[in-house]
Amino acid sequence: MDSLGYLVSGFGVATTMQNLFYCLAGAVVGTLVGILPGLGPIAGIALLIPATFSLNATSAIIMLAGIYYGAMYGGSTTSILINVPGETASVMTCIDGYQMARKGRAGPALAICAIGSFLAGSLAILGLVFLAPPLADAALAFGPPEFFSLMVFGFVVLSNVTGGSLLKSLMMAVLGLIIGTIGLDPVSGNPRFTFGQVSLLGGIEFVAVAIGLFGIAEVLDNAEKPDEVLEQRVLVPRFRELYPTLRDLKESLGASLRGTGLGFGIGLVPGPAPVLATYASYMLEKRIAKHPEQFGQGAIQGVAGPESANNAACQSAFIPLFVLGIPFAPPTAILLGALLIHGVNPGPNMIAEHPDLFWGVVASMYIGNTILLLLNLPFVPLFANILRIPKKILLPLVMLFCLTGMYSVNNFMVDLWIMLGCGALGYLMRKWAYEGAPLLLALVLGPRLEVAFRQSLMISHGGFGIFVERPVSLVFLLATGGFLLLPLFRKVARSLGRRAATVS
Amino acid sequence: MTAAVALFLFGAVTVVLSLQLPIGTLRAAGSGLFPLVLGLLLMGLAACHLLLLLRARNTAADVRTDERVSYRRVALFLGAVAAATALLAPLGYILSAFLLLWALMEILGVRPRILLLVVSLLAAGFSHLLFVQWLQIPLPKGWWGQ
Repeated sequence: MDSLGYLVSGFGVATTMQNLFYCLAGAVVGTLVGILPGLGPIAGIALLIPATFSLNATSAIIMLAGIYYGAMYGGSTTSILINVPGETASVMTCIDGYQMARKGRAGPALAICAIGSFLAGSLAILGLVFLAPPLADAALAFGPPEFFSLMVFGFVVLSNVTGGSLLKSLMMAVLGLIIGTIGLDPVSGNPRFTFGQVSLLGGIEFVAVAIGLFGIAEVLDNAEKPDEVLEQRVLVPRFRELYPTLRDLKESLGASLRGTGLGFGIGLVPGPAPVLATYASYMLEKRIAKHPEQFGQGAIQGVAGPESANNAACQSAFIPLFVLGIPFAPPTAILLGALLIHGVNPGPNMIAEHPDLFWGVVASMYIGNTILLLLNLPFVPLFANILRIPKKILLPLVMLFCLTGMYSVNNFMVDLWIMLGCGALGYLMRKWAYEGAPLLLALVLGPRLEVAFRQSLMISHGGFGIFVERPVSLVFLLATGGFLLLPLFRKVARSLGRRAATVS
Repeated sequence: MTAAVALFLFGAVTVVLSLQLPIGTLRAAGSGLFPLVLGLLLMGLAACHLLLLLRARNTAADVRTDERVSYRRVALFLGAVAAATALLAPLGYILSAFLLLWALMEILGVRPRILLLVVSLLAAGFSHLLFVQWLQIPLPKGWWGQ
C-alpha cells in the first residue's frame, strides 16, 4: 500500500466516534489554552496528559496533538484582540493583527488567521504524509553514533536560537541531562541518585518538571505583579465585521502559501520552529511587499504569513518526532513523553510497527484543522470571553489544575513536591534569564542520548573515533561545531568591520 | 552570579556522587560515567560563565529586576501550595482543593469575600466531579471520606 492508501486507512481510524470526540476535545482545549496568555502548548499538553491515561495510545495522541495545534490557533486570538500573545509564536501576529483590530477589523484578522492556519496545516500534513515514510527508511540506516550526534546537534541548535545566552542555555541542557540520569541506569539497570526512594526508580517524572517550569512558574510570575496589573480589565474590541472580503483573501493567499513553505522547512530543523518561522515569514512579507510602509499599520499579509508559518512548522515538527524519535522542540518533547507513557517508542520503525497510530494521528490532523476552522470562524468572539475572567481568580484555578493534574499521573506525593520545586526553580530561572526549554528537552532525551553514547563506545571498543568516522555522524558534529562557533564568528566579524570602518 | 555558583556546585555534587557509582571503562561504561562527564561539563560551563560575569563586572544587567513585584506574595503562594500538598492525604482532595483556592484568592485579595467563598466551593466541587467522577482518577479521600 502506498502513502495515500495508508492515509485512507488512517481516516478509518480517525473517524471513529471516540477519536472524533477526542480530536474535537483537543482542538477546543488547545484553543482555550492558546487564548489564555502564559499557559502555552507546553503546559497545556503536560497538564492534559493525565486525562489521557484511560485512553488507548491513538486516541491519547490525537487529543494531545489537537491541543498542540489548537493552541497555535488560539494563540493568535489574544494577539489580535488585546495585543497580548497567547504563546510566543503569536508575537509577530500582534504587530499587524492588533492594528487591524483597532480599526474594527478584528473579525477579518481572526478569520484570515483561521483560514491561513487551515491552509498551512493541511499542506504541511501532505508533506508529512509523503516525506515521513522515505525519511523513516533513510533513518533505518542510523546507528547509535548518528543518533548521538543528531541529538547533540539538536541541543546546541535549540540552545543557540532560544534567544538568551548560549552558555546559559547549554548549562540548562546539561542540567536537564543530569536530572535525566536519576533513576535506573538504562543500560545496566543499577539505581542512580535515588537515595533509597522507590518512587525515584522510574526517574524524575518529566510531566512534573514541565508543569513546574512552565505552569507553576507562570502563575508565580503573575502572582508577583501589583494589584493594578492583576485587576486590569481586558477590553475585547467590538467586532464590526466578522468575515474577510474577497480582496482580503486575495491579498493574503500568497503570504499564506509562502508562510507555509517557510514554516514547513523550519519545522524540520531543531529549535523553537514556530517562533522562528513566524519571524522569518513576517520579514519576508515585509521585504517583498509593494507597500512595506503598511506593515505595522494593519497589513493583512503581516497576519496571514506568520500565522500560516506557525501552523506549518507545528505540523512538520511531527516528522522528526515520529520518524527519528527525536523531538526538536519542547512541545514535541512532551508528546514524546506521552507516547512513551502509552508504550509507543517512536523512531524509524514506528510507521511499520504502529501504522494505525501514525496514520490515524495524521488523518486526525486534517479533521482537527477542519474542526478548528469551523470552530474559530463563528465562535472566536465567544472564546474571547475567557479573557474576561479576572486574573485573581484564574491564577488559583490554574494552580489547582497543576496540582491535580500532576497527582493524577502516578498518584505519587513525591511528584507534587518535585513539581513545586521545579516551579520555584522555573520562577528563579525567569528572574535570572535562563531558558526552560533546553532543560526540558534534555530531560526527555537524556536516557536516549546516554544509551546511544554507551552503545557507540561499545561498538567502537572504547574509541571516540566512531563519532567522526561515520559520515552522517561527522556531518552532524561539524554542524554542531559551526553552531557553537557562530557567536564567536559574529563577534570577530563585527570587530573586524568596526576596525575597517575606523581605518577608512 | 548566584545562579552560576549554584550550577557549579550542582555539577561538583554530581561529580562526587557519580564517583561513588561504578565508572567502568570506555569500552564497557558503568552507570557513573555518563553523569560524571555531565557533572564535569556543567562545572566547566558554569566556571566559564562565572569568569565572563567577573570580567564584565555587571551581573545586574543579567537579572530581570522590577521594583514593583511582590516577592512576599510569591512566597505566600508557594507556602499555600506546599501546605495544600502536605494536607492532601489527611484532608482529602475536595477539602484541600477548597482550602487551597480560598487561601490563594485571599492572598491575591479577591473581594468581596462571599465571591471568594462561592468560587472556591464551586471550583473544588467541579474539579472533584471532573477528575474523580468523570475521569475516574483515584484522588485521596482523606480521613472523613474513608
